Formats: sequence, structure tokens, C-alpha cells
Amino acid sequence: MNGSNKNVIEKTIIVEHLSKNFEVIEKKPGLIGSISSLITPTKKTIRALKEISFTIMKGELVGFIGPNGAGKTTTLKILSGLLYPTAGFIQILGYDPWKRDPAFLKQISLVMGQKNQLWWDLPAIDSLELNRAIYEIPDHTYKESLTELVELLEVKKLLYTPVRKLSLGQRMRLELIAALIHRPKVLFLDEPTIGLDVIAQQKVRDFIFDYNRRFQATIMLTSHNMDDLMDLAKRVIVLDKGQILFDGNLKELINQFAKEKIIKVLLSKEADIKKLDEIGKVKKFEFPSATLSIPREVAAVAASEILQNFPVADMTIEEEPIEEIIRRVFKGEK
Amino acid sequence: MSKYLQVFKISFQQEFAYRLNFVMWRVRNVIQIFLVFYLWDAVFANPDRVVFGYDREKILTYVFGLLTVKALVLSARAMDIAGEISRGELSNYLLKPLNYFNYWITRDISSKALNLSFAIVETLILVIILKPPFFIQSNLLAILGFLVTISLAVFLFSLLLFIVSSLTFWMPEAGWGIHFLVTVVIVEFLSGALFPLDILPGSLQNALYFTPFPYLIFFPLQVYLGNIGGLEFIKGLSISVFWVVFLWFSMKAIWQKGLKEYQAYGR
Repeated sequence: MNGSNKNVIEKTIIVEHLSKNFEVIEKKPGLIGSISSLITPTKKTIRALKEISFTIMKGELVGFIGPNGAGKTTTLKILSGLLYPTAGFIQILGYDPWKRDPAFLKQISLVMGQKNQLWWDLPAIDSLELNRAIYEIPDHTYKESLTELVELLEVKKLLYTPVRKLSLGQRMRLELIAALIHRPKVLFLDEPTIGLDVIAQQKVRDFIFDYNRRFQATIMLTSHNMDDLMDLAKRVIVLDKGQILFDGNLKELINQFAKEKIIKVLLSKEADIKKLDEIGKVKKFEFPSATLSIPREVAAVAASEILQNFPVADMTIEEEPIEEIIRRVFKGEK
Repeated sequence: MSKYLQVFKISFQQEFAYRLNFVMWRVRNVIQIFLVFYLWDAVFANPDRVVFGYDREKILTYVFGLLTVKALVLSARAMDIAGEISRGELSNYLLKPLNYFNYWITRDISSKALNLSFAIVETLILVIILKPPFFIQSNLLAILGFLVTISLAVFLFSLLLFIVSSLTFWMPEAGWGIHFLVTVVIVEFLSGALFPLDILPGSLQNALYFTPFPYLIFFPLQVYLGNIGGLEFIKGLSISVFWVVFLWFSMKAIWQKGLKEYQAYGR
């Protein structure tokens, strides 16, 4: 009994056969379409999530990837208690999110890259004070968290400026503070680096990595930014059309989906590129270097063929870049 | 409790963020009072004139009382709720250990407190300038009754607003139209905000007294004027308490259902 209880606690997020349907009213184009949909609305059920299941352990940082409309954001919204699930079982930190128990809400946070909670006309510090009261954070904990977060995200000078006068990057960092001031144990991040410049992206990424390690926080992250995923997530869940395509190590994903190897050749003399094309797909040719992509199984054979038939100065065999693989997963290629 | 105190404070700050806006709003109110005063003053230029049983002094008091009570009851920040639902901004609140209804009630009270304190100063100045023949209630019991009924009215209107706004869960586009119909047209018409309800035919009045609307404006005002006392007061009070309780539980039920429909739009 004791053992199984502990097991439940270690598994911070449990999702079993989760489904979510949306009903939408379809409208034909134009004015006549508007009128006819007013009189006889045609309802259509969209199955946003189809029986997905996964578990996430305490302290894990999981990347959630998939094309637009795959159901990533819907999942995060259900997990944080915003949406009512159509079917399935969900337990987070031992709570049912939909019931929105205050004790549960105090331990989670959802950050959406394009949603803001800071009061637009007031300095961020006022919104933070409000959150201190709402989350009932003791004074010394609040001060400690605030100092720490402000330092990590380098926003000390921005706290007292009305939010509307800040740039997007500055605002996003302050939004992060507002979302984390109560030190949530579970963090849902939906596109946290959207719209940020490269430097700000890196700052936010470093911070997420740090937060995860320092507080043993469980983090689920969706992003279209490959760097976010490669820097942060060891484990990824690939979602498409409401179904999980892959759940596991980022490296395994590569093994499973990488079908080609990249051979880079440095030629010592001019050679006929057409002959190279017979061996494999030439992706780039700019004398003296050529880049070919070759199916994994025949990569070794192709390499020796090149060595035999061409004046090779240097040659390397590499894995496909990870972005390429994930892009293919997005496109739904198997 | 301290969380709502903080909500109160930040709302106050928010009102001051647009100082000029606030000043213009107060100027508008003062001009409105001038207009209304001179309009009715002209209608009742002949001091012996009586319309619908109202003479000059009574109608002026009713009209001025109306402006004050309307400002207190019908002005509500919570008008934004329908928008917050359809734009998906409700999500921000749902994620926090905070009661959304209490949050808006607090914001309303904060906004009303600010406006009221300004209104008192303005009224004092206007009374000195215009020297209107006002009826000042001196009966403490009537004043107490007025305070109780006005508090109930504030609560009642917030509940109505919440219920009407929650229709947005089912009809994100239609929300505003229904809102306008219910809170502006029906409420203004039936609450006595446009004309004293006692000019209506008796049977209609009797029926109206069983709805929540007269208790928003007309009833508190009549209590202040001393026109309603004793048994009639108890009866009115009981009906409005009934409506508060009934609407409270309806609001809870509707809101619970609505949240299941909520789609957290906006990404």
C-alpha cells in the first residue's frame, strides 16, 4: 500500500486515454452563408485529442512537439484545468485538474507565449504584489523568489516601469516571473520563446533549464523552436492529429526517423558531378566540397564507392541534422 | 481575505492610471446633472404643477437620487466579463486560486468607492451653486434601510450581470447583444432608472414587484424618500433577499456548466 502510494507521488503527471472533442458551427463563406448558418447551424465535432496516454515523473523536462493543430496546447490547457476533458483520466500531483482545487493551483503554472497576465497600465511590481496575495506567499519566501528571479532574468530596472512601455522581450521575462513567483512544482510552457530575439530566447532557455534543476520542477514545454527542444528536453512526445506518434528519448527519435546519412566529400580535383548523382542525392555542390544524402543501409557501400571512383581529399559521414528529422516528423513522414 | 484587499488596491491604482480619462468621466457626470436639473426645473416652472403625483421638490429629489443610485448600482466594471470569456482572458483567473465572482465584486466596489467619493464632493458643490429644493431624509431608520437595500441592489445587479455574461460560454459572438438587451434595455426600463415605476398601472406594478428589477433602483430610492416603510419594506426586502439567494445558486450552476463549454480561445 505504502509502496504504491509513493509510486503515485513520483509520477507527477498521469494521463490515461484522454480525449477532447470540440463542437464547432460551420459557416459557409459570405453573407448568405452567415444567414444560413444562423437559421440552420451545421455542427461539426472536431476530435482534438484521441485517447492519448503518458506519464511524467517528478523533475522531468518533456518537450511536446507537433504541427499546428496537433493538440499540444489543448493538452496543456486540460492539464492545467482550463478545459473540461471529454473522456479519460488525469491526475497531477494527486489532483484532478478540472476541480481546480486551490491547493493544486498553487503548485502549477501555465505560461502561454502570447497571453499576458500583467496589468498593462501598471508597473510589473504591482501585478507581482497581487500574485503574492492571491497565492498567499509568505513575505520572506516572496522576497527571496523575487530577488532570485529578477537576478536570473536580469530585469531589475524594469520592475517599476508601466508594462505597456516595455518591449516584448522585456515583457515576456516579467511574465515568466509573474508565472513563477509562487514556485510552481509543475510548469506548462506553451511557446515560451515566441516572438523573442535570439538573445532573449537564450536567456529564457537558460532560465527554464536552471529552474528545472534547482527546484526539481516538472516541466512540459511546447515549441516550434528547434533550439528550445534540443537544448532543454531529453524526452519528447510527438503529437499529430490528436494522437501520439512518438514518446521517448530525443536520441531514439533520431534513430527511428533518421533514414539517411550525410556524406561530405572534399575533392582534390575537378570531377563529374553527374557521376556523383548516381551514387546518392547531391544536396550541395560547390567545388571542391560536395554534400550527399544517402540511405542509412547503403551509406558504407556508397562511401567506399566514392573513395574508389573520385579524387577524394577528405570525407566525413554524419547523422542528419536533428531539425531535419523533426521537420519530417512534423510533416507526417514515417 | 487579504487577496481581495490587494485586488481592491490594484483596481484603485488602475483607475488612476488614466487620470485624464477619470476626470473627463466626472465632468460628464456633472454636466449630466446640470442638464437634468434644468430640464425638470423648466418642466416644473410653475410651482403648483403636479405630474403623476410628483411635484417640483419630489421630482428633483427623485431625479438626483436616481443619478446617484444609478451610478452606484448600474455602473459596473464587471461589464467586461463577457469580453473576457470570448477573448479567452478568463484563463488567467482560472489558473489562480481566486474566486472570479469575488474578484469582480471587489473590483466593482473599488471603482464605486472611488466614484462615490468624487460624487459626494461634486454634489456638495452643485447644491451650493444650484440651491435645489431637496428632500433630505432625517429618519435614521430610513437611512439605514436605504443602505441595506442599496447593498442588496449592488449584489443583485452583479449577479444578473454574471449570469447574462455567462451566456458567452455558449454563444461567444452573440454575448454582447444579449448583454445589451438585458442589462441596458430591460434593467433600465424595469428598474425605474428611466421613470418612477409608480406611474405604471397598478396591476403591472404588482407583477413587477415580484421580479428582481425594481429592487435595483426604484425600491432603495423609495426607501430613502420615506415612501416605503413597515410591512411594505419587509416584503420588498424579503423578495430581494430571495432573488439574491436564488440568483446566487443559479449563477453557480450556470457557471459550472459554462466552464465545461469554455474553450480558452486566443491560441
